[in-house]
Amino acid sequence: MDGEVFGLQNKDNMEKLTQEKIQKGLDVLSAKHDGKLITHLNSCVHCGLCANSCVYYNAIPKAKFIPATKVDLVASIYRRYQTFGGKVFPKLVGAKDLNDEMADEMVDLLFGACTMCGRCVSHCSIGVDISYVIKKGREMLSNMGMVPDTLQSTINSALESGNNMSISKTDFVETLEWLEEDLQFEVDDDNAKIYLDQKGKEILYTLNPREPKFFPLSISAMAKVFYAANESWTISTKMYDVTNYAYYSGNYEEAAIITQRLYDEVENLEAKKCVLAECGHGSRAFRWEGPNYIKKEYPFDVLTSVELLAKYLKEGRVVVDPEKIQEKVTLHDPCNLARSGGIWKEQRYILNTCVKDFVEMTPHGLDNICCGGGGGQLAMSEYNERRLAIGKLKAEQIRATGAKIVATPCHNCVDQLQQLNVTFKLGIKIMTLGEIVADSLILEKKSEEKPNINKLEIKAL
Amino acid sequence: MPTLEIEGRVFEVDGDGFLAEPEVWNEEVAQLIANHDGIGEMNDKHWAIVKIIRSNYEEKGMAPMIRHICKETGVRLREIYELFPLGPARGACRVAGLPKPDGCV
Repeated sequence: MDGEVFGLQNKDNMEKLTQEKIQKGLDVLSAKHDGKLITHLNSCVHCGLCANSCVYYNAIPKAKFIPATKVDLVASIYRRYQTFGGKVFPKLVGAKDLNDEMADEMVDLLFGACTMCGRCVSHCSIGVDISYVIKKGREMLSNMGMVPDTLQSTINSALESGNNMSISKTDFVETLEWLEEDLQFEVDDDNAKIYLDQKGKEILYTLNPREPKFFPLSISAMAKVFYAANESWTISTKMYDVTNYAYYSGNYEEAAIITQRLYDEVENLEAKKCVLAECGHGSRAFRWEGPNYIKKEYPFDVLTSVELLAKYLKEGRVVVDPEKIQEKVTLHDPCNLARSGGIWKEQRYILNTCVKDFVEMTPHGLDNICCGGGGGQLAMSEYNERRLAIGKLKAEQIRATGAKIVATPCHNCVDQLQQLNVTFKLGIKIMTLGEIVADSLILEKKSEEKPNINKLEIKAL
Repeated sequence: MPTLEIEGRVFEVDGDGFLAEPEVWNEEVAQLIANHDGIGEMNDKHWAIVKIIRSNYEEKGMAPMIRHICKETGVRLREIYELFPLGPARGACRVAGLPKPDGCV
């Protein structure tokens, strides 16, 4: 990599802050009823344990990359404007003004040096929810109009076109029809379908727009698994986008618009369940944060593809032969699914059932190291150099396993891993879990009765 | 503005190494970016893919769907990923001189 390519900062394009904008930022910290925020802004004891848990500090050991330093940026502003000591003797209590310089530093560290992977949270000696504070800082910057253009551009595409890559409906439909032909050939059955806009199905399945646009093999894989499971399913041509980049930007009004659209489409198509494509932040944004964005509970079930695939295997709705995948396989846990979402056993069950040689990375699961692509980093080109620098930790973890295939249930992680594969010459193949299950499937003639138990030995859970 | 230097030529690029001014692109530039990415001398299939992406961009302002690339070039989907190890977006679109597409790429 050419060093001079990187290191661009956004500050040149930024308008100077007005008092009005500063006030909008400060409003985020003035919510007196937000006990969680106040507690977590006042609790850091500067023990330093978070430093080594952070991919940024590990890869680039500068004090500004320590998670506690990032928390202190937000906390120092809180002290300046919300505490007596900070208002009267700011220097004595480490209180700082929110001004142009501070805002630039916040953009650089809260947007440009955090994947919101949450590993620091689980390593914090007193349990400060550091990611939550970072999100609050991003929300302040969003209120001040300081979201990096590169990130905002993806959100604008979603808001304007209905998907984050501005794919037209015609292009989308033609792509899925093309994939349906391929599916019929693959399973040798002209009745195999990719159902579009059908009402009253069991499942409304979502996609990451990068699948129809550039990487459709994961759609084919899930279609094949749905076919094998004899599932009642459909995809909406109006709202299929599982992503919600406003989760990253901290603009929760925009996050609510995107959430509401998917909510409305599940209702419109009268689906019983919404199944989220393999997407870490999308799962988090819709399933766990979404009801807070739109301020209402969902009247339908929401689950991730990972849970659904594990369920199919456990219930024997699909049958697999692990001999079909002979290469050594390792697993990358997306932070938003495993550490933040608590979904970490299911992907192990899938791999233990579907492949012959599954090996864990060290560390893994809830303590897994972020790939470096999370938190919106993939979209923010200006921080590319850092993104690849922190990715080295993941690359080394992968290399140490000796695996030839890295499975991961997140398209964002897939893209980062793909770049790490080339950059660090890992010689690996990156697959979604849907692709793993599809490749190991034993397809039976539709006329024959399916066995009701999985005939393979269950090694995990 | 970051720059990317390949074999003595200097290009203004975004942080991901995509050309900042897509109009400076020509076939020589494409080959230089391919060299930089380790693709080496581009073959007929590389060129067919890059040209269809470029013409779609010049016509419609964005990268084509992968289906369109496969249909127009006759190159199989899986082979496209082999020809451009960084994928259609970070690989082929970059060689074709497009700005970085939005989304998880």
